Formats: sequence, structure tokens, C-alpha cells
Amino acid sequence: MTEPLSALRLGTAWARIAGLMDEAAETFVRTSFSSVVRDNWDMAVGLMDSAGRQFAQSSRSVPSFVGTMPVTLAAMLRKIPAARLVDGDVLISNDGYLGTGHLNDITMVKPIFAGGRITAWIGSTFHATDIGGAPSVEARDSWEEGLTIPVARILRGGVENEDVFAFLEANLRLPEEVLGDLRAQFAMYDQAAPRLLRILAEEGIADADALSAEIFARSERAMREAIAAVPDGEVFDEVTADGFEHPVTIRLRLEVKGDQLTLDFTGTDAQIARPVNSPLNFSRAYSNYAVKCAFDPTTPNNDGCFRPITLIAPEGSIVNPRRPAPVWGRHLTGHYLPMLVLSALGKLIPDRVVAESGSPLWNVYFTGEHADGRRYVRMFFMNGGHGAAASHDGAACLSFPSNVATQPVEQFENAAPMLITEKSLIPGSGGDGAMRGGLGQRLGFRVIGGKPVTATYRHERVQHPPRGLLGGEAGRGGRDLLNGAQVAAKARLVLQPGDTLVFETPGGGGFGPPAERSATARDADAAEGYV
Amino acid sequence: MTPPWQIGVDIGGTFTDFVLLDTRDGRLFNGKVLTTPHAPEQAVLAGIAGLLAQHGVAPEQVRHVIHGTTLVANALIERRGVPTGFLTTEGFRDVPEIGTELRHDTYDLFMRRPDPLVPRRLRLGVPERLRADGSVLTPLDEAAARAQIRALRDGGAQALAICLLHAFLNPVHERRLAELARQEAPGLTLCLSSDLVPEIGEYERGTTTICNAYVQPVFERYLARLGDGLRGAGLTGPLFLMLSDGGTVREDVAARHPIRLVQSGPAGGVQAARVIGESAGAEDILCFDMGGTTAKAALIDGGEPQRSLDFEVSRVDRFRKGSGFPLKVPVIEMIEIGAGGGSIARVDRLGLIRVGPDSASSDPGPACYGLGGTLPTVTDADLLLGYLAPNSFLGGDMTLDVAAAERAISRNIGKPLGLSALEAAWAVHETVNQSMAQAAAVHALEKARRIEGYTMVPIGGAGPVHACAIAMKLGLPKLVSPPGAGVASAFGFLAAPISFALLRAMVAPLATLDLDALHRMLAELEAEGRAMVAEAGVTDITIRRIAAMRYAGQGYQVEAEVTALDRDSLRAAFEQEYRRLYGRIEAGLPVETVGWRVIVAGPTPKLELARARDGAARSLKGTRQAWFGTGFVQAEVHDRTALRPGDRLAGPALVEERESTLVLPPASRATVDAALNLVVEFG
Repeated sequence: MTEPLSALRLGTAWARIAGLMDEAAETFVRTSFSSVVRDNWDMAVGLMDSAGRQFAQSSRSVPSFVGTMPVTLAAMLRKIPAARLVDGDVLISNDGYLGTGHLNDITMVKPIFAGGRITAWIGSTFHATDIGGAPSVEARDSWEEGLTIPVARILRGGVENEDVFAFLEANLRLPEEVLGDLRAQFAMYDQAAPRLLRILAEEGIADADALSAEIFARSERAMREAIAAVPDGEVFDEVTADGFEHPVTIRLRLEVKGDQLTLDFTGTDAQIARPVNSPLNFSRAYSNYAVKCAFDPTTPNNDGCFRPITLIAPEGSIVNPRRPAPVWGRHLTGHYLPMLVLSALGKLIPDRVVAESGSPLWNVYFTGEHADGRRYVRMFFMNGGHGAAASHDGAACLSFPSNVATQPVEQFENAAPMLITEKSLIPGSGGDGAMRGGLGQRLGFRVIGGKPVTATYRHERVQHPPRGLLGGEAGRGGRDLLNGAQVAAKARLVLQPGDTLVFETPGGGGFGPPAERSATARDADAAEGYV
Repeated sequence: MTPPWQIGVDIGGTFTDFVLLDTRDGRLFNGKVLTTPHAPEQAVLAGIAGLLAQHGVAPEQVRHVIHGTTLVANALIERRGVPTGFLTTEGFRDVPEIGTELRHDTYDLFMRRPDPLVPRRLRLGVPERLRADGSVLTPLDEAAARAQIRALRDGGAQALAICLLHAFLNPVHERRLAELARQEAPGLTLCLSSDLVPEIGEYERGTTTICNAYVQPVFERYLARLGDGLRGAGLTGPLFLMLSDGGTVREDVAARHPIRLVQSGPAGGVQAARVIGESAGAEDILCFDMGGTTAKAALIDGGEPQRSLDFEVSRVDRFRKGSGFPLKVPVIEMIEIGAGGGSIARVDRLGLIRVGPDSASSDPGPACYGLGGTLPTVTDADLLLGYLAPNSFLGGDMTLDVAAAERAISRNIGKPLGLSALEAAWAVHETVNQSMAQAAAVHALEKARRIEGYTMVPIGGAGPVHACAIAMKLGLPKLVSPPGAGVASAFGFLAAPISFALLRAMVAPLATLDLDALHRMLAELEAEGRAMVAEAGVTDITIRRIAAMRYAGQGYQVEAEVTALDRDSLRAAFEQEYRRLYGRIEAGLPVETVGWRVIVAGPTPKLELARARDGAARSLKGTRQAWFGTGFVQAEVHDRTALRPGDRLAGPALVEERESTLVLPPASRATVDAALNLVVEFG
């Protein structure tokens, strides 16, 4: 065995690699053609060692991608073994069951060669606004949800594989946007990969594996110590989602035993033939995310952090569906998981968790034609109120658990023949409590062009609002209204010119009994119109 | 004849610094007094009077005073502005509070956003609406608008920020609202988003407008008091202010755009680094400014500081992007990291050394100050390594406690990692140097520059201690260390040109861009800028046009300076810059313009620095042990004030002045130039 890296050298190299990932992500965002990447950072960049274990990831990305890339890479290599890859190859796939759970997320991975062998991998995952097909709440299987790109080489020896490009071009509504983003990532790999090798050389580290071994060991130890500091215990919790024809309940047994944590979803409802099933990778990403927030929020994400966590998710349940269950809106289930994990943890460590937030994430897709016949697909994200904590009120309209920004009203109106009529806080929507939940918001969209617009959305927390914690009250549930009348929370509507569609996002849950809220805080709420 | 003297004044948190320059022969005098935070002009006036008296300069001999200040930034950080109202399109009053909806830290469940500067009850909507192309959809309801203005006035607002949707394309409703406000609430300070930030994005534009309105009355009053004081003292020349983008403007222009002064002091530091670097023959300069709590770095390319239109103030988490209010203002682009002399070192849960971003600041200060601090800091490490001397710190005014520093380092770093105190101190020193080197290198890469060709100019108290080590890590060939690095910002003000940047949005595909309209728009901006600059007495005016462009469909733009205004030249200028930044271009894709920046500037002052002292002197004070990674070596100790042009030094050596020490590591050589800079070369 070689001499272990000194704290000084490891600290330096690790910081430089983390910086490299963030810079690569920034490069991609700045050169991206899609609003969902650049406004929402709905993407991640990662580095895997020669064995395909992830040792670095860009820090600012949505948690859907926590730990998914190595799983996707392993699946890719089962189709195209590493031995058949040459320098300059880039693998691609968007298979939701191999990747992050739905077809819109495209993952690419590129081997980094040094001395004639694969020494590491650089990869990235990003959300494509459109992936073809007819994704809708009506989808009964995953084939309806768009184009599946099987594991393929999109670059061969650095040259674009024109067959793959032709398939993509023929199947996507916005080929120039998606292909532009693919090419932006090729450029990013070409900038980042040589720098990884240079950093290793400058720090005197033999190869990526020497670095990753230390990163994994130290990260695992830090997580184990944090878990061990919590008293052993077994707690149960469950959360009910609005679902489709009937509600769906997710059940969790959480056990802390020594330095191990078990998340056991046994007893969770079965998968349904509607696109809200959360594939295992996605469920794992969001469960791990919550554990990371509560126990070790600062260590940069890598595989080592998650070794002390055991996840049990019965196959065929809504948190681990079997192919070809539809998965387009997987976040409608997956986004509940961190809140459920935190709620359960609250029974062991109440001061380290927050009440439930107004999520799963609310969004809407608008598709249609401009006056001149050009097609558009625009997505708009809107967040609900954040859950309150023991120490403070929840923030209004703050993204959790996914970290997705909204986009400027002015930019949206430039891109679609619609008018946003309102974007304002909903007084009284935050759950009461010693600490109040954050407010939700009301957004109105009016068709001002001369052509109809198709609006597709699927929203949760309408019948089952965000729960309060430790005596705090629930936030207000969300609502969807067409021309003033409440409509289904999961729908595909054709809006006519003049129609107005209004969304009201849910408020966050309160923390602690309302009786304990201070008079000062209540007066301020009244004066500012928060209640 | 033109009065020969100029004065630069920089108000910092603790000290107000002065520089007095004789433009006839380049003689330069420094001064420093304690800042008077409650009435900053008092320190300015007292300091100027003292400096003039000390050097026998009559007030009428002073051509002008150039001033930079942290007042605007501090008023925002400390919430010392006036109660401000916000008027916007009906339905959008909560935009400043809702913000981007993004968490600046994905993993921190308890992250906080800054409280809005304008409380909800003072944010009101008015019925009106523009379409995305700027045309009027709903005319302004004037009766309703009057009522809202009165409500804000009655609610206590002293300033009014007006930001309507799409107003950057058509200011008609914002201007009408301002007229109504003048009628309904005379005396209210009025700020329009279409004047301040003609750019798409209602949140950033609104926030910038609010911040400007919030500080403007405070700043105007301050300027009036200062102006009266200066004139009362016989200084009748104009007062200029340093803007965040490195230009200066007359006080009346500054008074209307206080938000453009948000980073005024550091911009002066960069201008100083430029002049110092240029005096030593360098054009590509890395300005490195390290103080007690932070380190900043800025790049100067071919004599031009890198600029941007993005800034952030009032961060909840000082070093985390997205945790403050975004501002769209022209600034010299800088990176700032939480690593200064007072930064605290620790071993984290991963068993790694972390330095900063928290700082022991001056109270209790580093362990070696002996003021009760027990946590190890960068200064403690520097002391143990022999870079700082216990008896000559601050000219000997403060004795440093070596034993306390050793205890702090041993207990907190050495023991946990199994290192000796010296090894641990070295590891702290290396860690902080590495993080600064990395930050600078990454910043350069983001700008598609190769850092290896830059000359470093270290300023700030802690800069010279770390500068050579960082320069060597970065592979820089040369470093120029000026004397009096602590008052560099004030000196930099004198080196800045009279200049103002005018902004205008113009989103249009290159293919269909109306070139006549573009010419008209640029001519308009240039005329406006010329008038502003001419008022300051400048005749030799240069104009630079910078276009922000992107491929249609992208959201970030690339700025390129353009000379010819035809479609091919615009595309060529864009693609040249795009290729430099990202390594490729998308030949088939259409390009669009997003906005324009016109910089109208007078000539950059040519400062002849001749600080040479007369007579021979002996700079060598003695020797002391200093550690450079592998063990103690004997290093010469020199008194910087005794160095003379032409003197040569070889590392390892320590060059001491009152507020700083330049550490020359082994394998470095230094020469003193005519301006008393130490020009250090490596290898």
C-alpha cells in the first residue's frame, strides 16, 4: 500500500477537484440553450474513479442527481463494456430506469484515458425540456412518455455519431435546443478532463483512485460519526399524497443503530398505472439527500457519504416500480421522501429538521404556436412555502427539496404569447405554529395570443396539505383554477384566447404549538398582511 | 495655472486613508485617521486639513478631491437607509420578497434569506401593463396610482423605487408615475428602474432600484455636508467620486446613482494595482488584496480591469453567491474569499485543515495578539513561521505572543493531525495560500485567461506576507510590491479616469436588427455621456461600445467591444469572444444582441511616481529564522523605508514596513525600482 495522503495534500486536491466540478457546471449553464438548465440548474456534473464510483459532483444542482450517475454508468457498461471504449467516446442514455427516473434527464459519460487506460470518468446529467412523445398525466406506460435513448455512443473517438443525432433530431420537438445542450457538454468535458489530470499531477497523486479512496473513507467516517451521535431508535411515519383516483400512502420505518441508518419503505402502496411512480434511483437520491441535510450537510457529495445508509424499497411499490410503469412525474412521489424522512427524524432530533414544505415542486408546461407558426414549449416552475423550523418561520416560496429557481416574468412573456397576471403571496397560507410556515404564491397565466395554448401540469398537496411538526399546523393546500373555477390538480387543458389559468401553491407547515407564537410575531404578520 | 495638488480619500471601516499627490513631480504623501462612522465627513475634513498643514499646501493649490467610500455598501448591510416605498405593476408587489425561489445552499435546511429592504406594507401595485414588446396593453390608471403614492407617503416612505414590468423597453408609465409622485408627494426621492437598469429581469431590476432609492437620501445628505465642509475649508475645486467600475464622476452624477458606488473602495485598489504594475512595465496584472478577514483578486488585461454587470450586497452568508440582493450595476469584477490574516484555522470532521471564512477579526483577534483569542489564525501561523516578528509588528506598537500562537496551533491543528507546531503552522499557511491561488486561477479560467502571464500586485495589510508564495503556486513570473500597500485604494482614485457607463437593453436578432435605430440609440447614449463628462471639464473624450450578444435561445450573454456596427462585424466580434471563452462557436446558429454598454471616458491620468528618497541608507536590520516547508533557514531582515532604487535583495528575506512585511521565499530575487516598488522575480 502506498503512503496515505497527508491532510494538507488531500485537502488541497479535494478542494481543487470540487472547484473544477463547479466551474464545469457553470460553463455548461452559461452555454446552455435551455431555460431549465440555466435558470434552474437542473443538471449535475460528476467525476467517477476507474471503478465507476463517484468521488466528486458539482455542488449546485438539484438533489435528483445525488448519487445516480455511478448507477447509470454501471448500467451503461453492462451494455457497452469499458474494454470496447476508446478515447473520445461519449456514452449516452436517458432510460429512466437506468438513470434518474424519467426520460427528460439525459445522462452522458466520457472515459478519461491516461497512459492508455481508463483512469476516471466525467459525466453529466441534464433535464431536456422536451423528449418527444406525449408525456401527460394520462400515460399508462413509459413508452408513451417520449423517446428512450438506449445506451449508445453519441461520440465515437471524438466524432459525432450521426445515426444517434439523426434519431434525436427526428424525435424531438426542440432538436436545436437539446442538441445545442449536448454539444455544450462535449465542450465542457474537453475543458474539464485534462484539468483533472493536471490537478492530480500537480498534487503528486498517482491517479484518481488514490484520491477517491481517501475521499470515500473520510466521508464515510464523517457520516458514521454523525449518525452514531444520535441515540439509537426506531420510529415510524407515513405521508399520504393526493395521488390520482385515490390517495397514495408512503410508509417509512427509520432506524438508527450505532453508526448505521436504515430507511425501510416496506408497507408503501403499490405502483400505479399513472406517471407518478418513483424509480429506485430517484427514491434513493431524495432519501439520501434528506439524511445528508440532517447529518452532514457540508461534505461534498460522493459515494462514501452514503455507505452507512441502508435503503429498503419493495419492488413493485410506488417508490421502486417495475418497468414499464410510467414515471414522467416521478417527483410527485419522490419529493415527498425527504419530508417524510425529516418528519420521522424529528422524533429523534427535532431541532435538526423542518416542517413540511409546499412541494412536490409545482410546474406547468405550455405548448403551442406563435403567431408566425413557430412552436414553443415553455416550462414554468413555482414553489410553495417552506416549512418552519424550531428557530424561525418558514420562508415564502422557497424551493425544497429540489432546488429549482423560478424564471423572470419578463423572460417568460418574451417566449410565449401569454401574460402573467399576478405573482403574489397568499396571505394566511402558512401553517400556524410557534413558528409559522412560509407563504405560498398565486400565479395567473392568461392567453393573449390568437391561438390556443395547451397547459400540462400535475400538482400535489391539494387534498393533503403540508403537515406541521410538533404541534404546528398544516399549511394551506394548493389550488388550480381556470377562469375562476377550481379544476383538477393533474390535467392537460387546452386554453382558448382570453382564458386565465391560476395556480395557488401550498403554504409550508408550522412548527410547535400556535399558542407559543409570540404576540410580536402575530402583530408583525398582521401589519404586513402575511395572515 | 491649474492647481498642482490632488487628494484621494478612501473611507474604510476602521481607517480613512489619504493620498496627497503633487502632479508636477509625482511626490506622494500618505495619511490615515480613524473613521468617524456617525458622520464620515468629519474624518475626511480633519484628515485633509491635517495633511495639507503637514506638507504646507494651501487649499487653493488643490485641483480636486477624489473620494471613494464604503458608505453605500455599509448603509445597505447595516440597514441605515431611509424607509422606502416600492411601486410596481399591480399583482407583482411581492416580487422583491419572493426573489428567485432558489436556496443558496441546497443542503442547509435552516438557510435564511435577507429580510426585504422594503416591508410588504410599503410595496404596492398600480393598474397598468406593458406587453413583452414594450407596447401598452393597459394604460396607467392615474387615479389609482395617485392613491397608492399617497398611501406610501402616509406610510412613512421617504424614497420611492418604481419598477414596472417591461419598463426597460418603454419607460412611459414609470415616467408618468414619477410626475404623479412629484405632485402627490413632493420631496420624495424618486428612482426609476428604466433609468437605473435598462435590462430584462424584474427581480434584479427592482432590487437594484430599491437599493438605490434606499441609500440615495442618506448619500445625498452626506455629500452635501462633505461638499460644504470642503468649500468651507477653501477647497473649491470639484469633488469627484469613485464608482465601482473604476471610473470617477462628479458629485452631482454620483448623488443620483449611489448604487454605482457600492464597491467604490476596492475599485480604487484595482486602479492602484494597474498603475503600480504599469510603472513596472506590466499590462496584465493580478491585483491581490488581502486584509484581516478577506482576500480579493481582480484581473487587469492590457491595462483594463475586467468588468461585469453583476454584483450582490447584504449577503446573509458573506461568501455564498445568491444569499444577498442581486444588483445590476457596472463593477470591476473581483472574487472574494474568506481568507485574511484573522481567518481561523481548524481541522474539520473530515480530518482536513480548513481556514476561514470565519475570522477572529480584531477582537479578540489572533491568539498572538494576547487579547483573549485562543483559536489559531493565519497570523498566528505566519508568526510561528518567522514571517512576522514579535517585536516589530505595527512598527513595534504591538508585541505578539509567540507562545500563545504556538499553543493555539498545537492544540487545534498539530495534535489532531499528529504534526509539530511548525509543521501545522506551515500546513495552515499552505492551505490558505492554496485556496487563494485556486480562487484566482479559477477566476482567470472563467474569463478564459491564462493566469501564468500575469504580474501580481499585492496590496492590503496581509497581502505581502502571502503574495510571493501564491505567485509561485500560480507560476507567475513576476510580482510588484508597492510601498504603503495599505493606502492603495486612495492612491488608485487618483489614477482613475473620469468615466461613466451608460446602459441600454436592445433584444434583437442580428439578422433583422434595425441598424439605423441602433445608430440613433448609441448616438443618444453617447451624447448623454459626453455631456456628463464634459461637465467635469474633460475635453479629450473616448467612447467604447460594448455589445452583449448571445446565440438565440441562450440565456447568458457574452460582452464584446465593437467598433464597426454592421452585422458581419458584430457577429465576428461576438464569435471571437465566445470562442475565447468556451473553446467553440456554433457556426450555424443565429446571434442576437441583448444590450449595449457605452463607456464615455476622459483620459486615464498619467501618474509619474517618483518616491525616491535621498541619500544612502542601510536597510539590513539583522537576520531571523524563517520556515519555508522543510526547516528553518536564516533570512535577512530589511527595513523597507531604508531601501533605495537599485537595491537588490535575494530570498529568503523579510522586508518590513509599519503595516506589512513582504516575505521573499528562497529562490526569489527582488530589485527596488525608481518608484520604490520591489520587483520580485522567481526561479
